[in-house]
Amino acid sequence: MLKNQAAPPATSQPKPGRQISDRTLSQLFIWPTLILLIVINIFPLFYSLFLSFTNYSAIANRPPEWIGFANFDRLLNNDDIWGYFALTGRYAVISVGLQTVIGFGLALLLRKKFRGSGVITTLILIPMMLSPVVVGLFWKLMFNPSYGIFNYLVGFTNPATAPDWLANSDLALWAVIIVDVWMWSPFVMLLCLSGLSAIPDYLYEAAAIDRAGAWFQFRRITLPQVAPLLLIAVLFRTIEAFKAFDLVMGLTGGGPGDATQMISVEIYSQAFLGQFRTGRASALAYIVLVIIIAVSNVYIRTLNKVREG
Amino acid sequence: MAAQSTPHPEVNYSTRVDEISGRARTLNSVRAVIVILIALIMLIPVAWMTLTAFKSRPDAVAVPPKVLFEPTLEGFLSLLTDRRQLTAEQIAEYSQRTDLNWADQIALSRGQVITGASNYPQRLANSLIIAGISTIFSVALGLLSAYSFSRFNIPGAGDLLFFILSTRMLPPVVVTIPVFLMYRAIGIYDTHLGMIILYTVFNLSFSVWLLKGFLDEIPREYEEAAMVDGYTRLQAFIKIVLPQSLTGIAATTVFCLIFAWNEYAFALMLTADRARTAPPSIPSVLGTGGIEWAAIAAGSLGFLIPVVIVTFALRKYLLRGVTFGAIRQ
Amino acid sequence: MATIQLQQVEKKFGNVHAVQPMDLTIQDGEFVVLLGPSGCGKTTTLRMISGLEAVSSGQILLNGRDVTWAHPSDRDIAFVFQFFALYPHLSVWQNIAFPLQAQGESGANVEKRVAEVAALLRIEHLLRLRPGALSGGDQQRIALARALVRHPAAFLMDEPLGALDAELRETMRAEIKRLHIDQHATTVYVTHDQIEAMAMGDRIVVMSNAVVQQVGTPAEVYHKPNNLFVARFIGSPGMNLLSGHYTDGIVQLLGSGRYPVPESWDRALKARLGQHGTVIVGFRPEAARIGASGALAATVYATDMHGGYTMLHLSMEGEGGEIIHARANRREHFKIGETVRFDLHPDMVRFFDAETEVALEEVR
Repeated sequence: MLKNQAAPPATSQPKPGRQISDRTLSQLFIWPTLILLIVINIFPLFYSLFLSFTNYSAIANRPPEWIGFANFDRLLNNDDIWGYFALTGRYAVISVGLQTVIGFGLALLLRKKFRGSGVITTLILIPMMLSPVVVGLFWKLMFNPSYGIFNYLVGFTNPATAPDWLANSDLALWAVIIVDVWMWSPFVMLLCLSGLSAIPDYLYEAAAIDRAGAWFQFRRITLPQVAPLLLIAVLFRTIEAFKAFDLVMGLTGGGPGDATQMISVEIYSQAFLGQFRTGRASALAYIVLVIIIAVSNVYIRTLNKVREG
Repeated sequence: MAAQSTPHPEVNYSTRVDEISGRARTLNSVRAVIVILIALIMLIPVAWMTLTAFKSRPDAVAVPPKVLFEPTLEGFLSLLTDRRQLTAEQIAEYSQRTDLNWADQIALSRGQVITGASNYPQRLANSLIIAGISTIFSVALGLLSAYSFSRFNIPGAGDLLFFILSTRMLPPVVVTIPVFLMYRAIGIYDTHLGMIILYTVFNLSFSVWLLKGFLDEIPREYEEAAMVDGYTRLQAFIKIVLPQSLTGIAATTVFCLIFAWNEYAFALMLTADRARTAPPSIPSVLGTGGIEWAAIAAGSLGFLIPVVIVTFALRKYLLRGVTFGAIRQ
Repeated sequence: MATIQLQQVEKKFGNVHAVQPMDLTIQDGEFVVLLGPSGCGKTTTLRMISGLEAVSSGQILLNGRDVTWAHPSDRDIAFVFQFFALYPHLSVWQNIAFPLQAQGESGANVEKRVAEVAALLRIEHLLRLRPGALSGGDQQRIALARALVRHPAAFLMDEPLGALDAELRETMRAEIKRLHIDQHATTVYVTHDQIEAMAMGDRIVVMSNAVVQQVGTPAEVYHKPNNLFVARFIGSPGMNLLSGHYTDGIVQLLGSGRYPVPESWDRALKARLGQHGTVIVGFRPEAARIGASGALAATVYATDMHGGYTMLHLSMEGEGGEIIHARANRREHFKIGETVRFDLHPDMVRFFDAETEVALEEVR
């Protein structure tokens, strides 16, 4: 991406007075962006790091008090928190796994164009363009055990015996997963489609000449060629799954009980509900951040390995 | 294998032999059918919500769910107005009146009278203002930065760009708490200004990356020619680069708009009432007793239609927008 | 190995003909070059033989077997692509082994055959690398190795040297030629470069505008072009073509030149035109014999030194005289504007019908 910066920028003759040098101009152009990012992203990042070592509460009228690692100590020794992490992890693995399979499958089906395939592709993309909280809401309607249509569609036609997805603590997580998969498989599909369309036709022509069967072509050409983008899709989705918030709030609000209390929902409850434990919520947020960074690193390493082979 | 006997229609287009074999054709049809079926299944929730938006209150919660019903605008009415329940005498009295408009009549049919607009229109307006203005800023600032990154030799450009992109990976909750405290301290909690600043930054990283991609594709020779002709760099940027990057700007604008329009987490935590946007409001559209599903569906529908239209208008750029840094890196 | 037969093979894109119905029989072990300018239908023809393009009508026979509708993978042919079409994510070894592994060949056998073909092409040192790390010439060797490794019935090559620079092209040309001589494999080779075609082909199929213009050995298409297109396209520069009016043994050329027709051709012209008519006289630059007694005269317009010889650009005498090329001994010197006299070697002159542009047959 730096390639076209190799050529020196053509500097015009400086005319004193009104001519701004390229250097000044580039500073002028970049700094507003950087300042905003620093003020709204970087400063808060450090500030919340500081808060995570305090017992600060946003509604208490006292300044933050340094308590060292007490927040982390408490969080990491709390079985509930570990449970929420495990839940989030399980949710991420299942949900992203299903999205990958469905999204990649859809992309394979849509790779070759047919009449109307453009419109179909766009229709399939609609879910990911919607507001997650709104999506959560109307799935809530669909999941309703008596007047929701979901049970009828999957074959439970008797409201008396049909499962109540959102009230059953075993099913609620699956309800969230179903909706997440519905909403985000198109995203995986989109990335895979762009990966598939970047595979040049001549590779398949060469493979046909080399007498490779369909499965051999898929394994030896399609899969390795699309792997980098597939992994990127999985990376993005995994990060998002760890941040899962909107959808869960719209659908279950973390319930029933704490059956869908994803870690982000927990941070929100700690920070903005009940006792407004700002310090502890910050500490938890930091733990999540570290996990996201760790997961991303693993993925990026895998990705580079795949790229280099 | 040699299939002299297979009747083949005249092939007067470019295709491989194996792609027009009987088997390939059958597979293709099967493929198309499967895809269409999946697409239809995936659209059921959207369709169901659309139907629900036009249902009466009893129809919305009918058991078993009703696919056929008499459409009504009750849901939209509940969404947009506040109403008061009437007593039997009042209903009789109101029924005599002849100056009732269609909205009043719908309310009356439910034994209610409209007392004023609900807060939903105000929140929709907040959404429009905040998403609109923040998008303008994101795109404008993003364009300037993207131009610099695309054209000038900036030391550490790669790291800077990665930094800009990585800010988007932060879980919103990590940033929200301090932003909340900061906003509260300087008094812009629950204000349009606060939300506009936040969404501007929220979209900025995306906008820089996307626009840089578009700008990189505009040959720099055009500006160089203009500068040789006596334009300053700034004039060349405005008169040459801007017009050429209009498609890129349009695509970026719409992506930023959709993000800001759909955003929920920040809005939930950083607004209360004055600057609250539509997404956190829709779940709280309650009728007088119980969830008013038609109203919620109506709110969702009104909220989704622009996005769906934009999705179709923008499908050429979707791929590019979603894969933004991914391929380029 | 294999014979390849095309019977009335035709390709249409919509209403446009990419290839007009054509017949062609390629003998076992023959090296046939499809030659023509871009867009003439030569690559389409090659792709139809491979099955990468379906025919609109006609039949393709491989060793007498009708393969018109057989899949590319069922034709037992190898295809060498212009831009090599190597699998970028596989190592060179894996690329060469690909056709064998696709057929489920066993490990030891694959090892052996890849090693053999790598030795043949002298690429053993590249086997662990990725194609992206290789030069164009090496990539082309890998592509050839991948084609050779499974001993196909025939090789199809689509401008395999088109992506290489001039010097490398010459080296690879020799290598491919050498391989063909060693392997004696039926080869169909597409190129737009007539020098390449002349150098490599046992036979050349000259195509233009979707139509086969001539099929013949390099010597035939060079010396006895079927029509004006072939005359112009083959050779560099192409054949000199002078319009003139034939009357009774003499062709009055544009300008003032008068060319006395050799006896054997005179009979042919009489048979075709009667006592007089319009005709085109064609001759190669080397057919002009410069000497003071020559019947034709022209002024020197420009001279190109070619090392071994000098190419003269001559302007035929008289108003409206055409520009021709003539080859001269490098020791002789010519001044611009100087008048040169020359004769045409009677065996190296061709005549074309001015209307149909088709060559006339000599009558001995």
